Amino acid sequence: MINSRKGRCPGWIPGLAVMLVILLLGPAPATAEYGDVVINNYSDQAGMRPAIFPHWFHRIRFRCKVCHADLGFQFKAGGNDITMLKIIDGEFCGACHNGDIAWSVENCNLCHSGKPNTSTQVHQSTLQKLLAPAKPKAKE
Amino acid sequence: MTEYMRNVLWVALLGLAGFQASAAEEKGKQIVDTVCAACHVAGVLNAPKLGDIQDWMPRLQQGEEALIKHADEGFNAMPPKGGNASLSTEDIKLAVHHMMGLVGESIVSSKSATPTPPGKPAAAEKAPGKPAPASDKVAAGKSPVDSARSVVVEKPAARPAPKPAVIAKASPESRRVNSFNRLLRPAEQRNLPPAKDGIHDAENDGTEVLQHPKEAFSSLDKANSGNRVDWVKSLGGDKITPRYDLLDPDKRPMVLDLNIVREVKGSMPDVVYPHKQHTEWLDCSNCHPAIFIPKKGANNISMASILMGEQCGVCHGKVAFPVAECRKCHSKNKPMKK
Repeated sequence: MINSRKGRCPGWIPGLAVMLVILLLGPAPATAEYGDVVINNYSDQAGMRPAIFPHWFHRIRFRCKVCHADLGFQFKAGGNDITMLKIIDGEFCGACHNGDIAWSVENCNLCHSGKPNTSTQVHQSTLQKLLAPAKPKAKE
Repeated sequence: MTEYMRNVLWVALLGLAGFQASAAEEKGKQIVDTVCAACHVAGVLNAPKLGDIQDWMPRLQQGEEALIKHADEGFNAMPPKGGNASLSTEDIKLAVHHMMGLVGESIVSSKSATPTPPGKPAAAEKAPGKPAPASDKVAAGKSPVDSARSVVVEKPAARPAPKPAVIAKASPESRRVNSFNRLLRPAEQRNLPPAKDGIHDAENDGTEVLQHPKEAFSSLDKANSGNRVDWVKSLGGDKITPRYDLLDPDKRPMVLDLNIVREVKGSMPDVVYPHKQHTEWLDCSNCHPAIFIPKKGANNISMASILMGEQCGVCHGKVAFPVAECRKCHSKNKPMKK
Protein backbone atom coordinates (compact mmCIF):
# COMPACT_ATOMS: atom_id res chain seq x y z
CA MET A 1 0.00 0.00 0.00
CA ILE A 2 2.76 2.44 0.92
CA ASN A 3 5.13 2.58 -2.01
CA SER A 4 8.22 4.60 -1.25
CA ARG A 5 10.35 3.27 -4.09
CA LYS A 6 9.34 6.05 -6.38
CA GLY A 7 11.84 8.66 -7.35
CA ARG A 8 9.92 11.34 -5.51
CA CYS A 9 8.47 11.95 -2.12
CA PRO A 10 6.45 8.91 -1.02
CA GLY A 11 2.68 9.09 -1.00
CA TRP A 12 2.31 8.82 2.73
CA ILE A 13 3.84 12.21 3.49
CA PRO A 14 1.14 14.31 1.85
CA GLY A 15 -1.31 11.67 3.06
CA LEU A 16 -0.29 12.41 6.61
CA ALA A 17 -0.59 16.11 5.92
CA VAL A 18 -4.12 15.72 4.52
CA MET A 19 -5.07 13.64 7.56
CA LEU A 20 -3.74 16.25 9.97
CA VAL A 21 -5.58 19.05 8.22
CA ILE A 22 -8.88 17.17 8.36
CA LEU A 23 -8.24 16.27 11.99
CA LEU A 24 -7.62 19.87 12.90
CA LEU A 25 -10.78 21.01 11.14
CA GLY A 26 -13.08 18.32 12.47
CA PRO A 27 -13.96 18.55 16.15
CA ALA A 28 -13.62 15.39 18.22
CA PRO A 29 -17.02 13.86 18.92
CA ALA A 30 -18.26 14.60 22.40
CA THR A 31 -20.51 12.09 24.08
CA ALA A 32 -21.41 13.70 27.38
CA GLU A 33 -24.79 13.36 29.07
CA TYR A 34 -27.93 14.67 27.45
CA GLY A 35 -28.74 18.03 29.02
CA ASP A 36 -25.28 18.82 30.35
CA VAL A 37 -24.96 22.60 30.10
CA VAL A 38 -21.61 24.19 29.31
CA ILE A 39 -21.50 27.81 30.47
CA ASN A 40 -18.71 29.83 28.99
CA ASN A 41 -19.96 33.39 29.25
CA TYR A 42 -16.87 34.65 31.05
CA SER A 43 -14.75 31.63 31.94
CA ASP A 44 -12.37 31.57 28.99
CA GLN A 45 -11.63 35.30 29.25
CA ALA A 46 -11.02 34.90 32.97
CA GLY A 47 -8.58 32.04 32.40
CA MET A 48 -10.87 29.48 34.02
CA ARG A 49 -12.19 26.28 32.51
CA PRO A 50 -15.83 26.62 31.38
CA ALA A 51 -18.38 25.58 34.00
CA ILE A 52 -20.40 22.42 33.34
CA PHE A 53 -23.82 22.03 34.90
CA PRO A 54 -24.94 18.37 34.92
CA HIS A 55 -28.74 18.55 34.63
CA TRP A 56 -29.13 14.84 35.40
CA PHE A 57 -27.32 15.10 38.72
CA HIS A 58 -29.55 17.95 39.87
CA ARG A 59 -32.77 16.34 38.57
CA ILE A 60 -32.25 13.49 40.96
CA ARG A 61 -32.22 15.95 43.87
CA PHE A 62 -34.48 18.82 42.89
CA ARG A 63 -37.53 19.32 40.69
CA CYS A 64 -37.21 21.75 37.80
CA LYS A 65 -39.35 24.29 39.63
CA VAL A 66 -36.81 24.95 42.36
CA CYS A 67 -34.20 26.42 40.04
CA HIS A 68 -36.34 27.55 37.14
CA ALA A 69 -39.13 29.22 39.12
CA ASP A 70 -37.81 29.95 42.61
CA LEU A 71 -34.20 30.78 41.78
CA GLY A 72 -34.92 32.47 38.47
CA PHE A 73 -32.79 30.47 36.08
CA GLN A 74 -34.00 31.16 32.53
CA PHE A 75 -34.48 28.17 30.23
CA LYS A 76 -31.54 29.12 28.07
CA ALA A 77 -27.91 28.06 28.11
CA GLY A 78 -25.85 31.20 28.59
CA GLY A 79 -29.04 33.24 29.07
CA ASN A 80 -28.40 33.79 32.77
CA ASP A 81 -25.83 36.37 33.67
CA ILE A 82 -24.13 34.30 36.33
CA THR A 83 -20.99 35.68 37.95
CA MET A 84 -18.99 34.48 40.91
CA LEU A 85 -19.92 37.66 42.79
CA LYS A 86 -23.61 36.84 42.49
CA ILE A 87 -23.01 33.24 43.47
CA ILE A 88 -21.13 34.31 46.59
CA ASP A 89 -24.03 36.67 47.34
CA GLY A 90 -26.37 33.69 47.30
CA GLU A 91 -27.88 34.13 43.86
CA PHE A 92 -28.13 31.43 41.17
CA CYS A 93 -25.86 28.47 42.06
CA GLY A 94 -25.04 30.20 45.33
CA ALA A 95 -28.54 29.57 46.65
CA CYS A 96 -27.44 25.99 47.35
CA HIS A 97 -23.70 25.98 46.81
CA ASN A 98 -22.96 27.79 50.04
CA GLY A 99 -21.60 24.98 52.18
CA ASP A 100 -25.06 24.57 53.66
CA ILE A 101 -27.27 22.72 51.16
CA ALA A 102 -24.44 21.76 48.81
CA TRP A 103 -20.68 22.18 48.84
CA SER A 104 -19.47 25.77 48.60
CA VAL A 105 -17.67 27.84 45.99
CA GLU A 106 -14.16 27.00 47.17
CA ASN A 107 -14.39 23.84 45.09
CA CYS A 108 -13.69 25.76 41.89
CA ASN A 109 -12.71 22.79 39.78
CA LEU A 110 -15.86 20.77 40.39
CA CYS A 111 -17.88 23.22 38.27
CA HIS A 112 -15.09 24.75 36.22
CA SER A 113 -14.23 21.37 34.78
CA GLY A 114 -14.84 21.81 31.04
CA LYS A 115 -12.27 21.65 28.30
CA PRO A 116 -11.02 25.17 27.61
CA ASN A 117 -12.69 26.86 24.62
CA THR A 118 -15.81 24.69 24.79
CA SER A 119 -18.67 26.90 23.66
CA THR A 120 -21.80 27.58 25.70
CA GLN A 121 -24.27 24.81 24.87
CA VAL A 122 -26.89 22.36 26.01
CA HIS A 123 -25.06 19.19 25.19
CA GLN A 124 -26.86 16.76 22.87
CA SER A 125 -29.77 19.16 22.43
CA THR A 126 -31.82 19.03 19.24
CA LEU A 127 -30.57 22.48 18.30
CA GLN A 128 -26.98 21.47 18.75
CA LYS A 129 -27.34 18.21 16.85
CA LEU A 130 -29.47 19.31 13.92
CA LEU A 131 -28.88 22.98 13.41
CA ALA A 132 -25.80 24.38 15.00
CA PRO A 133 -22.84 22.02 15.28
CA ALA A 134 -20.68 23.20 18.15
CA LYS A 135 -17.88 25.43 17.05
CA PRO A 136 -15.11 26.43 19.40
CA LYS A 137 -15.43 29.97 20.65
CA ALA A 138 -18.83 30.50 19.02
CA LYS A 139 -20.53 33.49 20.55
CA GLU A 140 -24.12 33.20 21.63
CA MET B 1 0.49 9.43 -10.70
CA THR B 2 -2.91 7.89 -10.08
CA GLU B 3 -1.29 5.28 -7.85
CA TYR B 4 0.47 8.06 -6.03
CA MET B 5 -2.77 9.86 -5.43
CA ARG B 6 -4.31 6.64 -4.23
CA ASN B 7 -1.53 6.23 -1.69
CA VAL B 8 -2.19 9.73 -0.43
CA LEU B 9 -5.86 9.00 -0.02
CA TRP B 10 -5.29 5.64 1.64
CA VAL B 11 -2.99 6.97 4.27
CA ALA B 12 -5.23 9.94 4.99
CA LEU B 13 -8.30 7.75 5.28
CA LEU B 14 -6.71 5.02 7.35
CA GLY B 15 -5.05 7.50 9.64
CA LEU B 16 -8.27 9.40 10.09
CA ALA B 17 -10.18 6.23 10.74
CA GLY B 18 -7.73 5.42 13.49
CA PHE B 19 -7.94 8.83 15.06
CA GLN B 20 -11.69 9.02 14.99
CA ALA B 21 -11.92 6.01 17.27
CA SER B 22 -14.35 6.93 19.97
CA ALA B 23 -13.52 7.00 23.63
CA ALA B 24 -15.24 3.67 24.11
CA GLU B 25 -13.29 2.01 21.33
CA GLU B 26 -10.16 3.36 22.90
CA LYS B 27 -11.17 2.02 26.25
CA GLY B 28 -11.84 -1.45 24.85
CA LYS B 29 -8.44 -1.41 23.20
CA GLN B 30 -6.80 -0.17 26.36
CA ILE B 31 -8.31 -2.96 28.44
CA VAL B 32 -7.29 -5.56 25.88
CA ASP B 33 -3.76 -4.18 25.75
CA THR B 34 -3.27 -3.96 29.49
CA VAL B 35 -5.30 -6.89 30.85
CA CYS B 36 -6.33 -9.42 28.21
CA ALA B 37 -3.07 -9.26 26.26
CA ALA B 38 -1.27 -10.92 29.17
CA CYS B 39 -2.71 -14.26 28.06
CA HIS B 40 -4.30 -13.60 24.70
CA VAL B 41 -1.14 -12.45 22.91
CA ALA B 42 0.76 -15.67 23.50
CA GLY B 43 -2.19 -18.00 23.91
CA VAL B 44 -1.49 -18.98 27.51
CA LEU B 45 -3.49 -22.11 28.52
CA ASN B 46 -4.98 -22.25 25.05
CA ALA B 47 -6.38 -18.75 25.25
CA PRO B 48 -7.47 -17.71 21.76
CA LYS B 49 -4.79 -15.39 20.41
CA LEU B 50 -5.67 -11.85 19.43
CA GLY B 51 -6.68 -11.69 15.79
CA ASP B 52 -6.13 -15.41 15.19
CA ILE B 53 -8.97 -16.55 12.98
CA GLN B 54 -8.59 -20.27 13.63
CA ASP B 55 -8.47 -19.81 17.39
CA TRP B 56 -11.55 -17.65 17.36
CA MET B 57 -13.79 -19.32 14.78
CA PRO B 58 -15.32 -21.99 17.06
CA ARG B 59 -15.80 -19.38 19.79
CA LEU B 60 -17.38 -16.82 17.51
CA GLN B 61 -20.07 -19.32 16.65
CA GLN B 62 -21.40 -19.05 20.20
CA GLY B 63 -22.19 -15.40 19.60
CA GLU B 64 -20.80 -12.29 21.23
CA GLU B 65 -23.26 -12.49 24.13
CA ALA B 66 -21.88 -15.85 25.24
CA LEU B 67 -18.31 -14.61 24.92
CA ILE B 68 -19.08 -11.58 27.06
CA LYS B 69 -20.71 -13.85 29.64
CA HIS B 70 -17.73 -16.20 29.74
CA ALA B 71 -15.31 -13.31 29.99
CA ASP B 72 -17.37 -11.69 32.72
CA GLU B 73 -18.07 -14.76 34.84
CA GLY B 74 -15.12 -16.94 33.92
CA PHE B 75 -15.05 -20.12 31.83
CA ASN B 76 -12.56 -23.03 31.96
CA ALA B 77 -9.12 -21.39 32.25
CA MET B 78 -10.55 -17.92 31.70
CA PRO B 79 -10.75 -16.18 35.08
CA PRO B 80 -13.77 -13.94 35.79
CA LYS B 81 -13.24 -10.49 34.28
CA GLY B 82 -9.89 -11.63 32.94
CA GLY B 83 -8.57 -11.73 36.48
CA ASN B 84 -9.06 -8.01 37.04
CA ALA B 85 -11.99 -7.64 39.43
CA SER B 86 -12.03 -3.86 39.08
CA LEU B 87 -13.42 -4.15 35.55
CA SER B 88 -17.16 -3.72 35.13
CA THR B 89 -19.33 -5.85 32.87
CA GLU B 90 -19.47 -2.87 30.55
CA ASP B 91 -15.66 -2.82 30.41
CA ILE B 92 -15.66 -6.52 29.55
CA LYS B 93 -18.15 -5.82 26.77
CA LEU B 94 -15.89 -3.15 25.30
CA ALA B 95 -12.89 -5.45 25.50
CA VAL B 96 -14.70 -8.39 23.88
CA HIS B 97 -15.99 -6.03 21.22
CA HIS B 98 -12.47 -4.86 20.50
CA MET B 99 -11.22 -8.46 20.26
CA MET B 100 -14.05 -9.26 17.83
CA GLY B 101 -12.90 -6.31 15.78
CA LEU B 102 -9.34 -7.67 15.67
CA VAL B 103 -10.57 -11.01 14.36
CA GLY B 104 -12.77 -9.31 11.78
CA GLU B 105 -9.84 -7.28 10.56
CA SER B 106 -7.68 -10.39 10.30
CA ILE B 107 -10.31 -12.04 8.15
CA VAL B 108 -10.47 -9.04 5.86
CA SER B 109 -6.72 -8.63 5.59
CA SER B 110 -5.93 -12.35 5.21
CA LYS B 111 -8.06 -12.33 2.08
CA SER B 112 -6.31 -9.40 0.51
CA ALA B 113 -2.84 -8.98 2.00
CA THR B 114 0.25 -10.98 1.18
CA PRO B 115 1.93 -12.41 4.26
CA THR B 116 4.44 -10.07 5.80
CA PRO B 117 7.27 -11.27 8.02
CA PRO B 118 6.56 -10.81 11.69
CA GLY B 119 7.96 -7.61 13.12
CA LYS B 120 10.39 -7.31 15.97
CA PRO B 121 8.44 -6.10 18.97
CA ALA B 122 10.10 -4.61 22.00
CA ALA B 123 9.15 -7.70 23.94
CA ALA B 124 11.06 -10.01 21.61
CA GLU B 125 14.22 -7.98 21.97
CA LYS B 126 14.13 -8.37 25.71
CA ALA B 127 13.57 -12.12 25.45
CA PRO B 128 16.08 -13.35 22.89
CA GLY B 129 15.44 -16.70 21.31
CA LYS B 130 11.71 -16.47 21.68
CA PRO B 131 9.62 -16.34 18.57
CA ALA B 132 8.12 -13.01 17.80
CA PRO B 133 4.37 -13.07 18.28
CA ALA B 134 2.37 -12.51 15.17
CA SER B 135 0.15 -9.96 16.78
CA ASP B 136 3.08 -7.65 17.15
CA LYS B 137 0.98 -4.55 16.72
CA VAL B 138 -0.74 -5.27 19.97
CA ALA B 139 2.34 -6.17 21.95
CA ALA B 140 4.78 -3.67 20.52
CA GLY B 141 4.99 0.03 20.98
CA LYS B 142 3.26 0.05 24.35
CA SER B 143 4.59 1.31 27.62
CA PRO B 144 7.47 -0.59 29.22
CA VAL B 145 5.03 -2.10 31.68
CA ASP B 146 3.03 -3.70 28.89
CA SER B 147 6.13 -5.01 27.21
CA ALA B 148 7.36 -6.50 30.44
CA ARG B 149 4.00 -8.16 30.92
CA SER B 150 4.23 -9.67 27.47
CA VAL B 151 7.70 -11.03 28.21
CA VAL B 152 6.47 -12.83 31.29
CA VAL B 153 3.57 -14.50 29.60
CA GLU B 154 5.43 -15.41 26.45
CA LYS B 155 7.78 -17.76 28.24
CA PRO B 156 5.44 -20.74 28.47
CA ALA B 157 4.48 -20.29 24.84
CA ALA B 158 7.38 -22.05 23.15
CA ARG B 159 5.38 -22.68 20.03
CA PRO B 160 6.84 -21.66 16.68
CA ALA B 161 5.76 -18.32 15.40
CA PRO B 162 2.19 -18.69 14.22
CA LYS B 163 1.16 -17.55 10.80
CA PRO B 164 1.37 -13.83 10.53
CA ALA B 165 -1.99 -12.25 10.92
CA VAL B 166 -1.92 -8.71 9.71
CA ILE B 167 -3.81 -6.53 12.12
CA ALA B 168 -4.72 -3.37 10.35
CA LYS B 169 -6.42 -0.53 12.12
CA ALA B 170 -9.93 -0.52 10.72
CA SER B 171 -12.27 2.31 11.26
CA PRO B 172 -14.88 1.97 13.98
CA GLU B 173 -16.99 4.35 11.88
CA SER B 174 -16.94 1.97 8.96
CA ARG B 175 -18.44 -0.73 11.14
CA ARG B 176 -21.09 1.69 12.30
CA VAL B 177 -22.00 3.14 8.96
CA ASN B 178 -24.73 0.61 8.25
CA SER B 179 -26.01 0.39 11.78
CA PHE B 180 -29.73 0.94 12.30
CA ASN B 181 -29.64 4.66 12.96
CA ARG B 182 -26.44 6.61 12.92
CA LEU B 183 -28.01 9.41 14.97
CA LEU B 184 -28.57 7.07 17.89
CA ARG B 185 -25.65 6.63 20.19
CA PRO B 186 -24.13 3.15 20.17
CA ALA B 187 -24.13 1.34 23.49
CA GLU B 188 -20.50 1.98 24.25
CA GLN B 189 -20.99 5.73 24.04
CA ARG B 190 -23.82 5.98 26.54
CA ASN B 191 -23.45 7.42 30.04
CA LEU B 192 -19.69 7.79 29.88
CA PRO B 193 -17.76 8.88 32.97
CA PRO B 194 -17.03 12.65 33.00
CA ALA B 195 -13.34 12.28 32.18
CA LYS B 196 -14.19 10.48 28.94
CA ASP B 197 -17.28 12.35 27.81
CA GLY B 198 -15.56 14.86 25.54
CA ILE B 199 -16.58 18.08 27.29
CA HIS B 200 -14.98 17.62 30.70
CA ASP B 201 -11.27 18.30 30.95
CA ALA B 202 -9.66 15.01 31.99
CA GLU B 203 -6.64 16.94 33.28
CA ASN B 204 -8.74 18.84 35.79
CA ASP B 205 -8.48 17.34 39.28
CA GLY B 206 -12.15 18.12 39.98
CA THR B 207 -13.29 15.99 37.04
CA GLU B 208 -12.16 12.85 38.82
CA VAL B 209 -14.32 13.66 41.84
CA LEU B 210 -17.57 13.97 39.88
CA GLN B 211 -20.12 11.19 40.07
CA HIS B 212 -20.38 8.87 37.08
CA PRO B 213 -23.81 8.98 35.45
CA LYS B 214 -23.95 5.21 35.14
CA GLU B 215 -23.57 4.84 38.87
CA ALA B 216 -26.38 7.30 39.53
CA PHE B 217 -28.69 5.76 36.91
CA SER B 218 -28.21 2.11 37.85
CA SER B 219 -31.31 1.97 40.04
CA LEU B 220 -33.53 4.17 37.85
CA ASP B 221 -36.05 3.16 35.20
CA LYS B 222 -34.57 2.92 31.73
CA ALA B 223 -35.58 4.74 28.57
CA ASN B 224 -34.39 4.60 24.98
CA SER B 225 -33.17 8.12 24.54
CA GLY B 226 -31.76 11.16 26.30
CA ASN B 227 -29.98 10.10 29.48
CA ARG B 228 -31.47 6.62 28.88
CA VAL B 229 -33.45 7.23 32.06
CA ASP B 230 -37.24 7.40 32.29
CA TRP B 231 -37.38 10.33 34.68
CA VAL B 232 -41.17 10.45 34.98
CA LYS B 233 -41.39 6.75 35.78
CA SER B 234 -38.48 6.96 38.22
CA LEU B 235 -40.18 9.83 40.03
CA GLY B 236 -43.56 8.04 40.05
CA GLY B 237 -41.97 4.90 41.47
CA ASP B 238 -40.13 6.87 44.18
CA LYS B 239 -36.78 5.75 42.78
CA ILE B 240 -35.83 9.39 43.12
CA THR B 241 -37.22 11.92 45.58
CA PRO B 242 -36.24 15.34 44.27
CA ARG B 243 -37.20 18.24 46.48
CA TYR B 244 -39.96 20.61 45.40
CA ASP B 245 -38.65 23.31 47.71
CA LEU B 246 -35.11 24.48 48.23
CA LEU B 247 -35.22 24.07 52.00
CA ASP B 248 -38.31 22.09 52.92
CA PRO B 249 -37.92 18.42 51.98
CA ASP B 250 -41.56 17.69 52.82
CA LYS B 251 -43.19 20.21 50.52
CA ARG B 252 -45.27 18.53 47.83
CA PRO B 253 -46.18 19.90 44.40
CA MET B 254 -49.74 20.87 43.48
CA VAL B 255 -50.43 18.33 40.78
CA LEU B 256 -53.03 19.20 38.17
CA ASP B 257 -54.52 16.15 36.49
CA LEU B 258 -55.79 17.61 33.24
CA ASN B 259 -55.12 16.30 29.77
CA ILE B 260 -55.17 18.64 26.78
CA VAL B 261 -55.76 16.97 23.43
CA ARG B 262 -54.39 18.75 20.39
CA GLU B 263 -55.58 17.60 17.02
CA VAL B 264 -52.77 17.68 14.53
CA LYS B 265 -52.62 17.96 10.77
CA GLY B 266 -51.58 15.04 8.60
CA SER B 267 -51.43 11.42 9.54
CA MET B 268 -49.65 11.70 12.88
CA PRO B 269 -51.67 10.67 15.93
CA ASP B 270 -53.08 13.57 17.95
CA VAL B 271 -51.11 14.96 20.84
CA VAL B 272 -52.20 14.39 24.40
CA TYR B 273 -50.56 16.84 26.76
CA PRO B 274 -50.73 15.68 30.38
CA HIS B 275 -50.61 18.44 32.98
CA LYS B 276 -50.07 15.76 35.61
CA GLN B 277 -46.53 14.72 34.73
CA HIS B 278 -45.53 18.31 34.06
CA THR B 279 -46.83 19.73 37.33
CA GLU B 280 -44.93 17.04 39.23
CA TRP B 281 -41.76 18.79 38.16
CA LEU B 282 -42.71 22.34 37.28
CA ASP B 283 -44.56 25.37 38.53
CA CYS B 284 -47.42 26.84 36.44
CA SER B 285 -45.35 29.99 36.01
CA ASN B 286 -42.63 28.07 34.23
CA CYS B 287 -44.84 27.69 31.15
CA HIS B 288 -47.73 30.14 31.59
CA PRO B 289 -48.08 32.68 30.17
CA ALA B 290 -44.62 33.25 28.68
CA ILE B 291 -44.34 30.03 26.68
CA PHE B 292 -47.97 28.91 26.41
CA ILE B 293 -50.97 31.21 26.63
CA PRO B 294 -53.36 29.37 28.96
CA LYS B 295 -56.26 29.44 26.52
CA LYS B 296 -57.51 26.77 24.17
CA GLY B 297 -56.54 27.45 20.56
CA ALA B 298 -54.33 30.40 21.45
CA ASN B 299 -51.04 28.63 20.85
CA ASN B 300 -49.86 27.85 17.37
CA ILE B 301 -47.45 24.98 17.93
CA SER B 302 -45.34 23.39 15.21
CA MET B 303 -42.63 20.77 15.15
CA ALA B 304 -40.43 23.30 13.37
CA SER B 305 -40.52 25.67 16.32
CA ILE B 306 -40.11 22.79 18.77
CA LEU B 307 -36.99 21.69 16.93
CA MET B 308 -35.76 25.27 17.14
CA GLY B 309 -36.00 25.08 20.91
CA GLU B 310 -39.28 26.95 21.37
CA GLN B 311 -42.60 25.93 22.95
CA CYS B 312 -42.31 22.25 23.98
CA GLY B 313 -38.74 22.44 22.69
CA VAL B 314 -37.77 24.73 25.55
CA CYS B 315 -37.34 21.52 27.55
CA HIS B 316 -37.96 18.61 25.15
CA GLY B 317 -34.81 18.18 23.12
CA LYS B 318 -32.67 19.82 25.79
CA VAL B 319 -33.30 18.05 29.08
CA ALA B 320 -36.75 16.43 29.07
CA PHE B 321 -37.14 13.41 26.75
CA PRO B 322 -36.03 14.34 23.23
CA VAL B 323 -38.30 14.80 20.22
CA ALA B 324 -37.15 11.49 18.76
CA GLU B 325 -39.75 9.91 21.04
CA CYS B 326 -42.64 10.88 18.71
CA ARG B 327 -45.24 8.60 20.21
CA LYS B 328 -44.82 9.80 23.76
CA CYS B 329 -46.67 12.99 22.73
CA HIS B 330 -48.42 11.87 19.55
CA SER B 331 -50.20 9.16 21.45
CA LYS B 332 -53.87 9.36 20.45
CA ASN B 333 -54.62 7.52 17.25
CA LYS B 334 -57.04 9.19 14.87
CA PRO B 335 -60.28 7.42 14.10
CA MET B 336 -60.09 5.39 10.87
CA LYS B 337 -61.61 7.15 7.88
CA LYS B 338 -64.33 5.33 6.05
